[in-house]
Amino acid sequence: MKPNTWIALALGVGLLLALPALTTASLLNASIQMLIAALFACAFNVLCGQGGMLSFGHAAYFGVGTFATVHAMNAFNGAGLLPTPLMPLAGAAMGLLVGIVAGWFATKRTGAYFAMITLALAELLHALAPQLKGVFGGEAGISTMRMPAWGLTFGSSTEVYYLTLAWVLLSLALLYLYTLTPVGRLTLGLRENTHRLRFLGYDVHRLNVTVFAISAMFAGVAGGLQALNTESANYVLLEGHVSAAVVLNSYIGGVSVFLGPALGAALMTFFGYAVSDLTRAWLLYQGILFVLVMMFMPSGLTGFFQWLGAGRRAHGSAALVPLLVLGVLAGLLLTAGTVFTVELLQRFFSQDYRSMAALRPGAGWAPIALFGREWLPTAVGTWAVPLVLCGAGAALVLVVRRMWQALLDRAEEKQAAPHAAVAAQGDAL
Amino acid sequence: MSTTSIRQPILTLSGVHKSFGDTQIIRGVDLELRAGERHALIGPNGAGKSTVFHLISGHYVPSSGRISFEGHDIQGASPQHINRLGLARSFQITNIFPKLSVFENLRLAVMRRHGVQNTLWRFIGSYPKVREETEQLLEQVRLAGRRDAIAGELSYSEQRSMEIAMALASDPRVILLDEPMAGMSHEETDYAVELIKRVTQGRSLLIVEHDMDVVFSLCDRISVLVYGQVIATGTPDEIRSNQKVKEAYLGEEVAV
Repeated sequence: MKPNTWIALALGVGLLLALPALTTASLLNASIQMLIAALFACAFNVLCGQGGMLSFGHAAYFGVGTFATVHAMNAFNGAGLLPTPLMPLAGAAMGLLVGIVAGWFATKRTGAYFAMITLALAELLHALAPQLKGVFGGEAGISTMRMPAWGLTFGSSTEVYYLTLAWVLLSLALLYLYTLTPVGRLTLGLRENTHRLRFLGYDVHRLNVTVFAISAMFAGVAGGLQALNTESANYVLLEGHVSAAVVLNSYIGGVSVFLGPALGAALMTFFGYAVSDLTRAWLLYQGILFVLVMMFMPSGLTGFFQWLGAGRRAHGSAALVPLLVLGVLAGLLLTAGTVFTVELLQRFFSQDYRSMAALRPGAGWAPIALFGREWLPTAVGTWAVPLVLCGAGAALVLVVRRMWQALLDRAEEKQAAPHAAVAAQGDAL
Repeated sequence: MSTTSIRQPILTLSGVHKSFGDTQIIRGVDLELRAGERHALIGPNGAGKSTVFHLISGHYVPSSGRISFEGHDIQGASPQHINRLGLARSFQITNIFPKLSVFENLRLAVMRRHGVQNTLWRFIGSYPKVREETEQLLEQVRLAGRRDAIAGELSYSEQRSMEIAMALASDPRVILLDEPMAGMSHEETDYAVELIKRVTQGRSLLIVEHDMDVVFSLCDRISVLVYGQVIATGTPDEIRSNQKVKEAYLGEEVAV
């Protein structure tokens, strides 16, 4: 790794260590969730980004990790199978075990069929869970308590945060070291060309199961941390949206960079925390964000940063800054327009508004309160706001694209021979 | 080469058939590759040459017949098993790890022989032998200068060289090359012939190739596959003068 990477890493870890002193209790709780989601996404990415196997059922391994940990915590009448700080090991063990079994079946097939088997296995578990009350606690789930251990009570969020942080950092370090082992290198080979690996003498199925099990094991650790954090487990953890979220988070962060999925998961979890209180439409925003990332930045946020770095090397910071500023401005305008539209429509179509309108027939459409003002749904001015915002945003996008094209042309001219540059100038005139 | 005639067969196909549904592609192939020889499998398009390679290397299972490698029956064995016995192959269509570096491609190929495919407790960097062998292979196929290039971005002939190196990595006793020179320029072909001569020293080679100059200059013996059957096997001179071959194949395409 380059020195810069080490510095960035040290700064990041330092920030995470200092976090409890810097934030509120509720933000600290959100941070715990972010850490768990980050680990889950990185575990998922061993299979997806490194091994090239897209699993649509990773909630299963997260979930069994949570349940195993809760049962371990409740073992011996609540005394616990292990000291509290070691509880996620139960999640790891269960994740590994279930991962080996599920992986053995799922990796018999590749591509879409692999994805469907993982989806089916997760759905199977989700459907089975409410029937097995003793294991999964039925609709109510199972609750548990963190027991004091090693001189710590684990009563405060701060202690839970540090415990989570320690596990997440340790797991991420192990996952990174994994990429440097022979199996880790072969995992990339699986993604690139399974067929060739077979003809190089490798037992591909065995390799697939290994990678699957490792991914499931660390998903189980994340699930175990979830159990420690919430002191409960419910079968909704096994639902499809949990599996979907880890896929989306990883791709938003970027699956081709080791910490990409962690970044995506942390950001999206924070987004959920910050936005879900503000609006009921936050899942819609999450969806829009994902579609936009996939359409315009298919290699995710980390891919965007890499692209930015390459752009800086090719054209210099001075040329890129105005582009970036305008780009961000365009993004803000478009976001503002979209949010305004969505929120207005959401209120307009809400049950409350409908029943209110029904109560006062003939009174016309009542104004809708939004962003501290009243907006008449029938007024032209109301709809002009998002139109103007989005129009301005779109215009700015066009400007930015022009500027970018001009930058590319200039770079090309520089590279071309002098007479070619003259010719190009002549053409431009 | 007068010694070839007394050499032991290392790979033998006897009465090998392969059908896909009702279509018979391979209709009783008998073929013998002798230890240390360079043997070409030629034939018109669609004769089934690549299918024969797929059958030998374990990609397809023969419908009937025997394939024996150093006394082991390998018909129907898995590709990785056959590779581990000491038989490696390249592919007609470039078959590499496109987004990994050249070094990484070859290292993955080398690693197998060092038995590290299940190792999770040591870093790949802690195997100096693996690195040395990988570097040697790079030198051997003259790709040392392209060590850190992304394999998918190599020129076509560089990729073909890399493929040969990947097949060599397991130090096989028998090596199958499927049209290694396809799509190469004259210069590149000359270089590839020289390369193949060099790297197959002490090994047995079975090669499918369309370039007759290459086949006649490179190989000790030639088998002609027509319509799923071997119609003739012999030295280049014997094949040139074989009437059946002339009728079936050579007469049309190559002035002998």
